[in-house]
Amino acid sequence: MGQTMMFRNLKAVTEATPAPVNEAGAICVRNVLKRYPGKHAVNALEDVSLTIREREFVSILGPSGCGKSTLLRIVAGLVPHNDGEVLVNNKPVKGPSPEIGVVFQTSNMLPWLTVEKNMMLGAQLRKLPAEQTAAKVGELIKMLGLSGFEQNHPHQLSGGMRQRASIGQILALDPGILLMDEPFGALDALTRDLLNVELLRIWQERMQTVMLITHSIQEAVFLSDRVLVMSARPGHIIHDIKIDLPRPRLPENIKGNPRYGQYIAEISKIMGVY
Amino acid sequence: MKRWIEAIVFWGAFALLWEYGVAALGVRRYLLPPLSAVVLAGWDAREMVVSDTWVTLVEVMVGFIAAVCGGVVLGVLIHFSDFTRRTLYPFITALQSMPKIALAPLMIVWFGYGFASKIAATFLFAFFPVVIATLGGLSGIAANLDEHFRALGASRWDTFWRLHVPAALPSFIDGIKISMPLAVIGAIVGEFIGSEEGLGHLITLATANAKTDLMFAAILVITVLATFLYWIVEMMSRLVWWRGKAV
Repeated sequence: MGQTMMFRNLKAVTEATPAPVNEAGAICVRNVLKRYPGKHAVNALEDVSLTIREREFVSILGPSGCGKSTLLRIVAGLVPHNDGEVLVNNKPVKGPSPEIGVVFQTSNMLPWLTVEKNMMLGAQLRKLPAEQTAAKVGELIKMLGLSGFEQNHPHQLSGGMRQRASIGQILALDPGILLMDEPFGALDALTRDLLNVELLRIWQERMQTVMLITHSIQEAVFLSDRVLVMSARPGHIIHDIKIDLPRPRLPENIKGNPRYGQYIAEISKIMGVY
Repeated sequence: MKRWIEAIVFWGAFALLWEYGVAALGVRRYLLPPLSAVVLAGWDAREMVVSDTWVTLVEVMVGFIAAVCGGVVLGVLIHFSDFTRRTLYPFITALQSMPKIALAPLMIVWFGYGFASKIAATFLFAFFPVVIATLGGLSGIAANLDEHFRALGASRWDTFWRLHVPAALPSFIDGIKISMPLAVIGAIVGEFIGSEEGLGHLITLATANAKTDLMFAAILVITVLATFLYWIVEMMSRLVWWRGKAV
């Protein structure tokens, strides 16, 4: 009985509501359409609207091929959209912005540079002051457990360490907004869990705005303030679920929390995966 | 240490087989002289051999370096400009299919019997592999790295020097490895067709005078020269250690 009540309550907040037009957010996406032209033209995204407030951690879940990566690339200014509006810090997105850092699924380390040089590369390409970058990277190396590997090359590292270094490269940019496209998708489950905990710790320290694309429901619930669920192609946001779990979140006090399980069950049901 | 012994034993056996094999099999000296006769003939003509080797070496180096520079420039142009890709690339592909050796006489007609025609022939032989390898290296760059650089707001200059160049280097070096021996062939072919000096000229001269031993001496020197040049390229290619280390 209590269980059913819980679900009903959850449902009440899961109905997708279009973002109010005036609500200020770090990321505002309004009625975005993305069409892939050609002989068999398809709409990858249709009427996608979402708002991510400053310092909010939002995950986007959806079946594969639903256009969630495309959505991230549109927000990152890497891919143009066909209709609608995309605002980052109230400015329309016209291309890659220095306010945004993007972490991709692949580690993107350059094999000919050491871990340390790789981690500094992003800041160098963005022409950030060298001294500050060196100090920041030194700090990040410690924080990400890469001490002793600074002078190694990426191929000498495990996949998990490479991805940590990739995240470090982006964090060294100190971006206000972090976009992550399945950053742990290529890693094994154990490494993934560990990196999730680390990611949360970093986020709780720095409080950046995060938009995370993932296909792991557990990951989304564990990390996020809100989880947005997308439909199959053409992608469209069908649910907006507020994750009301206490912070700071640690696996030992979240994974045993009954609400954590209920969120997972509810989202699994929405996505038809159980 | 053991490898050295292996090499010495192998080459020693080869030299001995040559030296005594020809006599044992009764091969006539004008067909295949024993190794000692070859070395002796080379030594007797040492002044000519040294000056001819120098001439050929210079031809090879100048032609080869010109081919590498030209090949890289053209490869980069074709890769980054749609216009050259549409126009020059098919043209280059057609030229590449042409037997270069058939063009060597033309080089003599155009550039005369001197240095220039040998450089032209060397260039012709060595040029195409560099273009193809440069293009292959540039187009083989992982799309995710290009996107990553774009997301980081990298300038075109930075993207070229910090991503495209190092990423294309392994393939480029492979092209150089093919190109280096071809440059030697180009110089020799140029000298065969018309010249007054160089190791190719020495071979034709020895042939005309029925001095098979001197001809073999010239061939040996060319082989050593080409092997040495290839070895230098091989050493250089080891600097590009990240070949196949994509992560």
